[in-house]
Amino acid sequence: MSTKKNRTVRELATGLGFLTPNILGFLTFTTIPLIFSMIMAFSNWDLKLHNMFKPEASPHFVGIENFQRLLSNSDFYKYLGNTLFFMMNIPFTIGGSLICALLLSKDLRGGSKKSALMIIATAILIASCIMLTLVGMGASAMTILVCGLGCTFLVGGALGGSTVYRTLFYLPHFTAGVATYLLWKKLYNPISGPINQTLNPILKKVEVAVNATNSSVIQSGLWIAIIVIGAILFMGLKRLNTLWRDGDLGSRAIILPMFFLVLPSVMASQWFPIQAARYSIAIVAGVLLAVTLFMIITSKQEFDCKPSNGFGNALMFCLFMMVIQFIVTGLGIVAYNLPGMAEITIDNGVSVGGLTAPEWLTSYHWAKPALMLMGFWGAIGSNNMLLYLAALTNVPGELYEAADIDGASPFQKFWNVTWPQLAPTTFFIVVMAMIGGLQGGFEMARTMTNGGPAGATTTLSYSIYTEGFVTGRLGYSSSFAWVLFAMVFSITMFNWKFGSRYVND
Amino acid sequence: MTNAADVTSNRLVPKKFFGTWFLHILLACMSLGLALPFTWMVLTSFKPLTEVQSENWIPQLWQPENYKEVFTVVPYAKFYWNSLFIASWVTALQVTTISLAAFSFSRCQWPGRDKVFMLYLSTMMLPGLVMMIPNYQIMITLGLVDTYMGLILPAAFSAFGTFLLRQFMLTISTSIDESAEIDGASKWRLFWDIILPLCRPGIITLTIFTFMGNYNSFFWPLVMLKSQERYTLPIGLLFFDSTRGQSTHLMMAAVTMAVIPMIFIFVLLQKYLVKGIQMGAVKG
Repeated sequence: MSTKKNRTVRELATGLGFLTPNILGFLTFTTIPLIFSMIMAFSNWDLKLHNMFKPEASPHFVGIENFQRLLSNSDFYKYLGNTLFFMMNIPFTIGGSLICALLLSKDLRGGSKKSALMIIATAILIASCIMLTLVGMGASAMTILVCGLGCTFLVGGALGGSTVYRTLFYLPHFTAGVATYLLWKKLYNPISGPINQTLNPILKKVEVAVNATNSSVIQSGLWIAIIVIGAILFMGLKRLNTLWRDGDLGSRAIILPMFFLVLPSVMASQWFPIQAARYSIAIVAGVLLAVTLFMIITSKQEFDCKPSNGFGNALMFCLFMMVIQFIVTGLGIVAYNLPGMAEITIDNGVSVGGLTAPEWLTSYHWAKPALMLMGFWGAIGSNNMLLYLAALTNVPGELYEAADIDGASPFQKFWNVTWPQLAPTTFFIVVMAMIGGLQGGFEMARTMTNGGPAGATTTLSYSIYTEGFVTGRLGYSSSFAWVLFAMVFSITMFNWKFGSRYVND
Repeated sequence: MTNAADVTSNRLVPKKFFGTWFLHILLACMSLGLALPFTWMVLTSFKPLTEVQSENWIPQLWQPENYKEVFTVVPYAKFYWNSLFIASWVTALQVTTISLAAFSFSRCQWPGRDKVFMLYLSTMMLPGLVMMIPNYQIMITLGLVDTYMGLILPAAFSAFGTFLLRQFMLTISTSIDESAEIDGASKWRLFWDIILPLCRPGIITLTIFTFMGNYNSFFWPLVMLKSQERYTLPIGLLFFDSTRGQSTHLMMAAVTMAVIPMIFIFVLLQKYLVKGIQMGAVKG
C-alpha cells in the first residue's frame, strides 16, 4: 500500500518537475493577468484620472457600468459592423483556397515521365515563341516582363510539379505582416500606386464604351441581376428540398440556412434603385420561398432523421450562396448607375464626372474593400489550402470510381463526393476563420489606415488597443476585451456542441 | 481486364495531356497574379526617387545604392539584429519549456494531469487582447518596459505549442517507455535520449513557426519598445512610413530586405512547415 502511495508521490513529483518552467510562465503571464483583467473590467481605472500626479484619486469598482456604457455606445456597434463586414471575406478566401487545393491535387505530371518531358519541352517552346513575338512586335517592357514572369512560372511548374505552385500560392500568407502591409499601402496610393495607374486607362475605355451605348441597354443589367438571383435562389432552395426529402436535413436545421439563403433578396428589395425592380425581386423570392415551404411541409421524408441533422453542411452551403447573391445584387446596382456615373458634363468649362478609379485607403467607402482585397491575396493560398490538400488526399478513391461507373460529370463528382467528404475540414476552417476574424484587423488598421477614414476600418481589436494604450481608459478597454471574448467563446461553444455531430451524420 | 484498361488509358492520354496543359497555364496565371505585388516591390526598390511615380515598373536607371542608403537613413542593421536576437532567444526558451511540458502531459502519469491539461488548453481560446493591459502593468512593475527581456519572457511560453508537441508525442508508442523502464532508465533519460530525438520533426516545425512568428510579431513590441535602438524590424519599418513617407524607393528596399529571409526560410524548410500545419489542425 505504502509503496503504491510512494509511487504516486514520485510520479507527481516527476510530472510537476517537468512542468515547472512552463507552469511558472503560465501563472505569471496568463493566469495572473487574466484575474487582473477581470477585476479591471469592473473598475473605472483611467490613466487620465489615476496617475502619479494625482495620488489622491484611486480607481474603484463601478460594477457593470463599463459594460453598460459599451453596449449603449453607437461606436461599438459601428466597429462590430466593420468587423463583421471584414468577415464577409471568409467565404471568398475559403472558396479560393478550395479551388487552389482542387487544382493542386490534380496530377500535374500527366502520368508518365514521357509526358512530363513533353510538357517541359512545350512550355519552353511556347515561352520562347511568346517572348520572340513580343520583342519582334516592339511591345512595351512591361508586357514582356509580365509574360516572361508567367512563362518562368509555367516552366518551373512543369519541372517541379505542384510543389512550385504551392510555394508561390503560400508565400503571400507566409510573409504577411507589417512589411507586406506597407507594400500594399504603396500599391493602393491613388496617384502613384500601380493599381490605379493600371485601372485608370481601363476605366477611361469603359467610360467611352458606356457613353457610346444606349443607357437603357446597360441599365437592363439590373433585370439580369434579378433573374440570376432568382436562379441561384431556385437552385439553393431546390438543394435544400432535396436534402430534406432524402433525410439529410432535419426540421430544425433547415430554418437558419434558409434564412441566409433568402436574406440577399430581402436586402435587395430595399437597396434596388427603382420601384419595379424592388417589387419584382420581392415577388420572385416570395414565390420561390412559398413553393419550397409548401413542398417541404406537405412532403414526407423518405428516410427518418433527427431534427438537427445536417445543419453545418446546409449552413455552409447557404452562406456561400448568400455571398454570391450579394455580389450579383451589387453588380446589378452598379450596372443601373453606370451610365449616370460615366456621363461627362461641362460645368463652367471644366468637365465633371466620368469614371475614375477609387481612392482606396483614403476613401470612406473603399477602404474596407481595399483591405479585404489585400486579405484575399494573403489568404487564398494559406493554411486553409494546405488543410484542404491534406483532406483531399484522404478522400477514398473508391468513391470516385463508383461515381465514374455511374457516369457522373466532374461537377456532380465534386458536389456529391468531394464536398461532403470535405465537410468536417470546411467546418473546422470556417470556425477558425470566424474566431480569427472577430479578433483580427489590428495590424492592418495600425499600419495602413490608423483605423480611418472616419473609423471605417476600425475593428474591435483595434478599438480595444486604442482605448487601452492611446486613450488610457484601462477599465473600459478591459471590459471591451471581455465582450470580445464572450463572442469568441460563443462561437467555440457552438463548434463544440454542433461541430462533430452536425457534420458527421 | 488488362485489355480494357489499355483501351481506357489510350483513350484518355490525349485528353489528359491537354487537361494537364490547361491546368499548368491556369496555375501559372494564378501564381503570376499573386506574385505581381512582390515584383513591383523588388523593381521599385531599385528605382531612383524621380522614377517612383512612373507607370513603367522597370527602372530606367538601376540604383542598387538604395539598399546601402537604407542602412544610413535608419539603424537598419540594428533592427535586423534586434529581431534575430529576440526571435532566437524566444525560440530557444519556448522549445525548451514546451518540450518539457509536453513530455509531462503525455508521458508522465500523475494524478490530475488531464484536468490541468484541459485548463491549459482552454486558455488558447482567450483573445490575446484580454491579457495585454495587465501584462503591460506587470512589465511596468518588473521594470522590464523597453528591454529585450520584456519582449522575450512573456513569449517564452505557449499553450498552443505545448498542445502541438503533446499530440506529436502521443503518436510515439508507449512500449518504448516500458522497455526503457525495464532497462532502469530514469524519466529524464527517457525524455532526453529517447523521446526528444524521436520528436525531431515536430520540434523542427515548432522551431520554424516560433521563429517566424516572433520575427514578424508586431503588437507586443509596438507596445513595449520606446527607444529606437531596441526597435525590431516591423516597428522599424513603420519609421519609413511616418517620417520618410516620400521615399518609397527606400521603403521598398527595406521591405524587400525584411521579406527575403522569410521567402528563403519557407522555400528551404517548406516540407516541415506543411507537415506541421496539417498535423496541428487535423488532430486538433
